[in-house]
Parts: sequence; structure tokens; C-alpha cells
Amino acid sequence: MDVALSRNGRRIMRVFFALVIVFLYAPIAILVIFSFNKGSVPTFPLSGFTLHWYHQFLTNSDMQAALETSAIVAAVSSVIAVGLGILASIGLSRSRFRGKGFVTTLVLVPLVVPLVVLGISLLLLFTVLGIQLSILTIVIGHVVISLPYTVLILMPRLGQIDASLAEAAYDLGAGPLTTFRRVTLPLILPAVVSALLVAFTTSFDEYAVASFLAGPRQTFPIFLYSALRFPSQLPQVIAVAVVVICLTVLVIVGAEVWRRRVEARLEAA
Amino acid sequence: MPAVIVALYSVNELSLFPGPHSFALGGWYRLFHTGYIQLFWKSAKMSLIVSALVVAAAYPLAYFLALSGTRRKYVLLLLLIAPFLTSYLLRVLAWKVILGEQGVINTFLVWTGLQANGHALSFLLYSRFAVMLVLGYVWLPFVALPIFVTLESLDQRLLEAASDLYASRLQAFLRVTLPLSLPGVVAAFLFVFIPTVGEFVTPSLVGGTQGYMYGNQIVDLFQNGFPDWETGAALALFLIGVISVLTVVFVRFLRVGEAQAA
Repeated sequence: MDVALSRNGRRIMRVFFALVIVFLYAPIAILVIFSFNKGSVPTFPLSGFTLHWYHQFLTNSDMQAALETSAIVAAVSSVIAVGLGILASIGLSRSRFRGKGFVTTLVLVPLVVPLVVLGISLLLLFTVLGIQLSILTIVIGHVVISLPYTVLILMPRLGQIDASLAEAAYDLGAGPLTTFRRVTLPLILPAVVSALLVAFTTSFDEYAVASFLAGPRQTFPIFLYSALRFPSQLPQVIAVAVVVICLTVLVIVGAEVWRRRVEARLEAA
Repeated sequence: MPAVIVALYSVNELSLFPGPHSFALGGWYRLFHTGYIQLFWKSAKMSLIVSALVVAAAYPLAYFLALSGTRRKYVLLLLLIAPFLTSYLLRVLAWKVILGEQGVINTFLVWTGLQANGHALSFLLYSRFAVMLVLGYVWLPFVALPIFVTLESLDQRLLEAASDLYASRLQAFLRVTLPLSLPGVVAAFLFVFIPTVGEFVTPSLVGGTQGYMYGNQIVDLFQNGFPDWETGAALALFLIGVISVLTVVFVRFLRVGEAQAA
């Protein structure tokens, strides 16, 4: 006897699962459908096929500027966050010092702070310090948000690595930097890439904190948010939405496949 | 050394919280006397309902994936979680398109003749319902994850033992599976509750006046017309306080659970 589920239970569960999947994907499917719809408002009945909206967004310079800003912010902040994350994870997993538990908690605190609060506290901080809001302040905000995630991804991977490998490298005369570059880094590379991706996508999609910290240059989510208030821009925004969603899915699936391959190779070695 | 850098980062955001309220208590006074606290309860109630519903829906999904022995469970899990990885704003946008007065549902109903023209279902958008629906939609994939992890690490032999001891499926579930997966459930609950209780993006896009939440109030105190940072900071601190208490209680609860299991 299967203890977990009866045969009928299993059937019901399967149907329920399918329904939830439909519920999750239907809105996205609707976006895709309406991105090709001729009408300028997304309503039934559909009024013919067009690529007009895709074309329009390709020529919308505001939108492109916003996408560019977001790409820069996401790239810079993810690299910084992962860099700090690697240092922090090595520090926290390799050494023992007093108050280690406290520091670990401190690093992870931003995870449970609502983004609104994070946003206003950073805004207060920058105001008190007299720092002008700019692209840099958004980068700092996003580093704070994604740092805990990078630590959460990197720490377990570092924990799996045999510490004697690093010791062996030392014994063979490698300095700390060489050891890191030739031994530790290749071993944690898959986790580093995951962390980079998570940090990048988090930043690229982040609105709440960016809305407080943005200077004159808009990020893409901020642009999107304000465009949502003007119905005339809606069809274009839908088209961009479809493109962005497709790209995200591609990147995530690609990275997952790549990570499995590398990990399989590392296991084999 | 690296840890110190990181610690400095974290302290940076924390050290400023006490600033505003040390000057005066006016913000705190207004928090408790001008309806803000009612607004907080309203938001808390909304996100309590959302979290409870979402956890209740995600539990069977995770249970099915983890314990039914489906071969492709990781593929199915990825399918479930994938929407969470796509843009948050865009998913809210999708619902705005669907629920609006001229939106997909309403025009579909009119088009198919199920609803007379000019009688749009107005409760769909700019309402508490809309906010809760969208929040539930956004968080559902994410919530299944912690529950799945606890259920997967559950020792299956315990279930076999229960069935050898003549426990029915229901009994085995109630006496073995459910108690053992409780930490995952509570974690999942907090994972939804904490971000939703301070949420302001979704309510401002689909909530209208009815769906206005505590987070919107904080934002408005900082950004709109007559900024009142002092009160806003008090509101934010109060939110942090409530969340810290919840988190501490949760960690205690986990420790007690572990001690009992050992």
C-alpha cells in the first residue's frame, strides 16, 4: 500500500496540480496573446494579428534608456554583491571567531526587512550623509538586497568543499590568492554563477527600493510602473513584457542546464 | 575582515532607524491616534488571509510532488516555481489587463453574452479582492518550495512504520507527516506574510482606495505632497518591530520542535 496517497487521492492531486499550473501560466499566456493583438486596448474579441507593438517599443528611446540603466545597475550590483558574498561566505565558513552567529544573523537580516523599510532607511541614510541620489545609490540599495541571497547560495557550496584541499595547496607553496583562484574558485563556480544570476535578476526587477533611491535616470521597473498608469502605452508595455519574460526563461533554463553539466563533471572528477 | 565589511553594510541600514524617533515622539503619537494603527490591522488581516490561503493551496502541491513518487518531480517543481522567477511587476501587469473594467474577463463576458453590456464586474479591479488575488498569485510558487524541502527530507520509513502499526492514511498524515512538516509550513507562512504586510506596489497598482495598505501609507508619508518623514519612520519602525517579534517567536518555535524531535 502506498502510505502517502490513495489512488483516488493521487488522481485528485494530479488534477489540482494541473489547475494550479493553469492558474499560474494563464495570465502570462494572455499577455503573449494580446501582445500580437491589433486593438490598442487589450479586450475581447481579438482584432487581428500585428507586430506593430514590438516595432513601436524598438523605437521608444525612453524605454531603451531605462532598459540600459537597469542592465548597468543589475550588472554592477550583482558583481559587487557576489564579490562581497564570496568574501563573507569564506569568512563565515572557514574561520571561527567570537560573535560569528551574530554576524551571520546580521548579514541575513535584510531578508526579513520589508523592502519599503529598506528603501526609506537607505534614503534617510543618504540624506543624512548628503549623498545625491543617482544610479550609484540604486546600485548600493540592490547590493544590500541581493547580498543575503548570494551568501545563502555560496555558503552551502563552500561547506561541501573539503578544507584539506586548500591546505594541500598551501603545503605546495600556493599563496592565499593562488589557492583561491586555482582551487576554491573553480570548485564553487556553479554556485557563483547561480548567485550572479539571482542577484542580476533581483536587481533588474526591483522596484520598491529603486523608487526611493533613483536619481534622474529611471530604471526599467520604474519606467514600467509609470507607464502602467498611461493606457496609451499599455500595448507596447505588454510587448516588452513578453520579450523580458522570454529572455528570463531562456537565461534561467540555460544556466540550470549548464550548472548541472558542470556539477556532474565536478562530481566525476 | 570580509565579515566586518558586510557587517558594516547591515549596520548601516539598521543604525539609522533609531534616529528619527529619538528627537520627538510625535510620530509615535500619530501612529497610535490617527487611524494608522487601524490601517495596519487591515493590512495585517489581508496578508494573514493571503498567507493562510496560499500555504493551504501549496501544501497539497508540495505533498504530491514530494511523496507520491512521481518520477519527474524536479521538472514539475521547476514548472511550479518558474513564474516566480519572472518579473514581479509584469505579473501584476498581467492581472491588471485581465481584471480591468475594460479588461479580459469583463469584455469576454460581454462578448459571449454572459453579461449585459455596460454591467462590468467592477469589484474585479481596484478592490481588496484584487490585491489579495494578485498577492496570492505572486507568492504561491515560492511558498511551495520550503514545504517541499521539509517533506522531501522526511524519513519515509516513518510512514511505513505508521502503516505497519495499522494507522490509516489520514492518521499517518495527522500524527506523522503534518507535525514533522510544521516547521516548513511556518517558514512558508512567514515567507509570504513578511513581504506582503509591508507591500505597496501591488496595492497601488490594483488596489484603488479600497485596497490601500500600510505600506502605501509609509510610501506616501515619504514621497507625496506633504512629506512627514518623522511619522513615516515611526510607522516603518513599528512594522519592523512586529516582524522581529514574529521572527523571534518562529525561531523559538523551531528550536522547541527540534528539541522535541531529538
